[in-house]
Amino acid sequence: MALSASTKNDDIGPETRLELYRLQVEIRDCEKRAYDLFLQNLIKGTSHLSLGQEAIAAGFGVAMKKGDKSFCTYRGHAHTLARGVPMEGMLGELMLRDIGLMRGKGGSMHLTSVEHGVMGSYAIIGAHLPIACGSAWRAQYLGEKDVTVCFFGDGTTNIGAFHEALNFAVIWKLPVVFVCENNLYMEYTPIHEVTAVHNPAGDRASAYGLPKIVVDGNDADVVYRTATAAIEKARNGEGPSLIECLTYRHSGHSRADPGKYRPPGELEEWKKRDPLIIYKQRLAEFGISESDALAIETESMRKVEVATELCKASPSCPVELLTADVYADGGWAWRN
Amino acid sequence: MAELSYRDAVIRGISQEMRRDNNVVFLGEDVAKAGGVFKATVGLYEEFGPLRVRDTPISEQAILGAAMGAAMTGLRPIAEIMFSDFIAVCFDYIANEMPKIAYMTNGQIKCPLVIRTGNGGGVRFGAQHSQSVENWTMMIPGLKVVAPSSPVDVIGLMAAAIRDNNPVIFHEHKALYATKGEVPDGEIIDTLGTAKILRKGKDCTILALALMVHKAMDAAEILARDHGIDAEVIDVRSLVPLDTQTMLTSVAKTGRLFTVEENPRLLGWGAEIASIVADEGFWDLNGPIVRITTPHIPLPAADHLEDLALPNAARIVDKIVRVMNG
Amino acid sequence: MAQTIIMPQLGETVAEGKILTWFKAVGDDIKIGDRLFEVETDKVTIEVESVVAGKLTEIKTGNGVVAKAGAVVAVLGGEAAAPAVAAAPKPKAMDAFEEVKTPLAHYGKAQTAGGLRITPLARRLLSQGNADMHALAQFAAAKGLHRFEEKDVQTFLSAAPVAKPSPPPPPNFSAGEVITLNTIRSKTAQRLTENWQNIPHVFQAIDVDFTEIELVRARNKERFKAETGSSLTYLPFIARAVCIALQAFPHINGRFENNSLTLMKDINLGIAVDLNHNGLVVPVVHAVQDYTLQGLAKAIARQIDKARSGKMSAADMSGGTYSITNNGAFGTSFTTPIINAPQVAILSTDAIRKKPAVITTELGDAIVPRLIGTVGQSFDHRAFDGAYAAAFLSKLKETLETKKWAGELGELT
Repeated sequence: MALSASTKNDDIGPETRLELYRLQVEIRDCEKRAYDLFLQNLIKGTSHLSLGQEAIAAGFGVAMKKGDKSFCTYRGHAHTLARGVPMEGMLGELMLRDIGLMRGKGGSMHLTSVEHGVMGSYAIIGAHLPIACGSAWRAQYLGEKDVTVCFFGDGTTNIGAFHEALNFAVIWKLPVVFVCENNLYMEYTPIHEVTAVHNPAGDRASAYGLPKIVVDGNDADVVYRTATAAIEKARNGEGPSLIECLTYRHSGHSRADPGKYRPPGELEEWKKRDPLIIYKQRLAEFGISESDALAIETESMRKVEVATELCKASPSCPVELLTADVYADGGWAWRN
Repeated sequence: MAELSYRDAVIRGISQEMRRDNNVVFLGEDVAKAGGVFKATVGLYEEFGPLRVRDTPISEQAILGAAMGAAMTGLRPIAEIMFSDFIAVCFDYIANEMPKIAYMTNGQIKCPLVIRTGNGGGVRFGAQHSQSVENWTMMIPGLKVVAPSSPVDVIGLMAAAIRDNNPVIFHEHKALYATKGEVPDGEIIDTLGTAKILRKGKDCTILALALMVHKAMDAAEILARDHGIDAEVIDVRSLVPLDTQTMLTSVAKTGRLFTVEENPRLLGWGAEIASIVADEGFWDLNGPIVRITTPHIPLPAADHLEDLALPNAARIVDKIVRVMNG
Repeated sequence: MAQTIIMPQLGETVAEGKILTWFKAVGDDIKIGDRLFEVETDKVTIEVESVVAGKLTEIKTGNGVVAKAGAVVAVLGGEAAAPAVAAAPKPKAMDAFEEVKTPLAHYGKAQTAGGLRITPLARRLLSQGNADMHALAQFAAAKGLHRFEEKDVQTFLSAAPVAKPSPPPPPNFSAGEVITLNTIRSKTAQRLTENWQNIPHVFQAIDVDFTEIELVRARNKERFKAETGSSLTYLPFIARAVCIALQAFPHINGRFENNSLTLMKDINLGIAVDLNHNGLVVPVVHAVQDYTLQGLAKAIARQIDKARSGKMSAADMSGGTYSITNNGAFGTSFTTPIINAPQVAILSTDAIRKKPAVITTELGDAIVPRLIGTVGQSFDHRAFDGAYAAAFLSKLKETLETKKWAGELGELT
């Protein structure tokens, strides 16, 4: 790939920028494909798309190092792909096929790939914040240098586990980064209608002695810089961070939700601030050629097509898995 | 051999395993510097230090979540939930997270941890600090559940629980902490999923758990002495895995089954065992399976009322005699 | 670590065994190979040897007590001081929809027409004791029972036989000794009843001329006895001819189960052996399709010896695909045997004696004395038809009468 000369004061650099763009494009294409497959009835159950929120997953995905651990929610397709998980593992799990990350046993809401540091997607709001604390505690206790990053939505800030985890992480000075994706809606209800403060995460930070960090979650450069700083702080043993990223989801809460509760024009306004539009302009600003961006887009679509075909060709998992792995011995025997 | 209290057995079990494996860590409310509200963890902080024995805020979800996250990534944590009633405030981890992570991830993740908790009544603490909640944990696939009745079992089952690669709920009985028993010297390791026949008998089988084991043993002596009924008493010890073979074999011999349960009646652990024996052991039954439980009420604090509510030897004897001779 | 001793699986259809005698006591040191206990099953009484070593710390199944196959009957431990811990539950392969296995046997109704309620255990014991339910109703009514339990079963079954309403006893009738069936007898009774009731038996027989075989047998019996210590009887000739005929008619070497017939590759012959009128056992000689007469004779002799001395293992009694019963020693003319399910046929051989026979000579037909025996077979008509079974008998006869037996005995011809 021919990299054009970068322009002034570029702290990020063309290679990282192209990586940020690639991840955002691939997440976007993959999520759109997930939506198409859902319309074809090839994706069963539920699924929660991150269309419009790609910059956060990409920014953190590039900032995290191999070995770092990430914990996310049921809206976790993007965060899973951002750690380098192959598309067929993610799409295959949504389609509940044998090729899926968990061979169809977990489904859309529990994407996990330990080898990529994706320590799970959690479908009970708030549950994974304390669990992320535990992962960080293990690193601290064993002197391992990995950092744990924990993603959640704005709605999570109103559940008890959020507050328990924040307090716990601060008093134990754990190497964990909490990332709130504020997309303005807890499921169907505007977050401001149900939250005492304006910034659901940012305005709570001071309660735990943390600085208020609220950033533009649709600008991958901003996310990347913020992520890098917070991860560095955690890795240096200086404790946790709480970051609120402002963003907007282009689709409804889940596949069952057309998002009719949104005021007219809101979606259109946010679509002008689509992270992919922002970032394609950014590439141009920094002198990265149109053809490099195009090459990423073409390759992304090719990967999505290949992954889709692999998934369609994959069988369901063998029925023996019904009772496998209930216990650590691989079985399920509860009696003799 | 030495005589040891149930409380000191908890300390000995944990310290035996912490000495053996550096990945065993311990967290909970007031467990470190204060040595635990039941004084069942005294000395651990002094021996193993502040990195391995940690006090937490009153945050049951954070305690169990942190234990789980650490277990998933390589440690073997022991978490204390001070009173088992408090399981209700962190039930998400016990019901949804710990027991399902291995299954949902197709075996990618294991969760080797122990949740110790003070269970049961008889100490006048009232309705929110006295419950026997072992059935809350028994009903969830993916958990293991034990409830020892003696100091030696506390040590052996604690060691087995810590070494097990699954989430294990370890119900310690509050009313037993002060009781004593003979304990052999040296390392003690027991096996999860094994019941123990404490008294051989031929006329009926009595199953009991934790504090109720002692009531059942008292009852068996009275039954033999005053009523000519020779009862076999089995300490169930482990609800999951469940040693059904020991129970079915005993019922095949005696033809009669009684359970003595501290929990309120509906869906207590004995109900599941009764259903298994009524099914597989049907043609060995020479009479109805009878459950002796606390009535289906919250526990009162008043001593005379609490004593009335919990099964005791007299009530067990009375019931068995009436059923056997009726 | 504690080790356990389990009740062995003594034969494929044996579910339990009764320990008759323990040879060891708690506290004894056990070595591998030590005799542990004698166990009686429905098939045989044998001694069980230890396959583990250690100090015997607990006997769970005492003398006279029945244990299911696989049940722990004793525990060997290291230190005697250690509390005896039950064996760890082996995480067995559970069937997803049979976590609890409901027994499929039925032992009658919980309530009689007269309103008597019978406990499940009592019903099972009554059924297994072949109790007369009419007599039971009378017994209960006489005692004023509304509920019938295990203890009532014992009283009822040990009570004097209740007189049936008719016919009146013959004059001078007096009951003789009542023989309580031992385990082997009662289990045999149960199994034979099932087989007789469930299998549509057909019996066919054919006369076989044993004159030529007798000549060969007479020439070789001294040498055979000297070499093997066993007598050379007609049985191995018949068994060898059966092997040859079965290979020509493979459906007869089959198992009929679940409405289908499985043809077995190996021929495993069961040889019925009478234990001095104290029971019947059927040791099996395995995979004998290619044995010579001499080899087969030795194998059969060895198994019969084992059976008579009570030294058979579970394997010695299992896996039969065809059975032979021989009552000829008592001079019987023919026997109609009961098939040993899931096998589909059983051969009976009876007395071989000189009979006048018509032979064809150059001078015309002549009546001469020949050694003739009747060979009969009961077969399961569900598995095949009469013509097939008859063709098998014909092949068997032809083989017995015309095979060059001398060669198979290693005799120089």
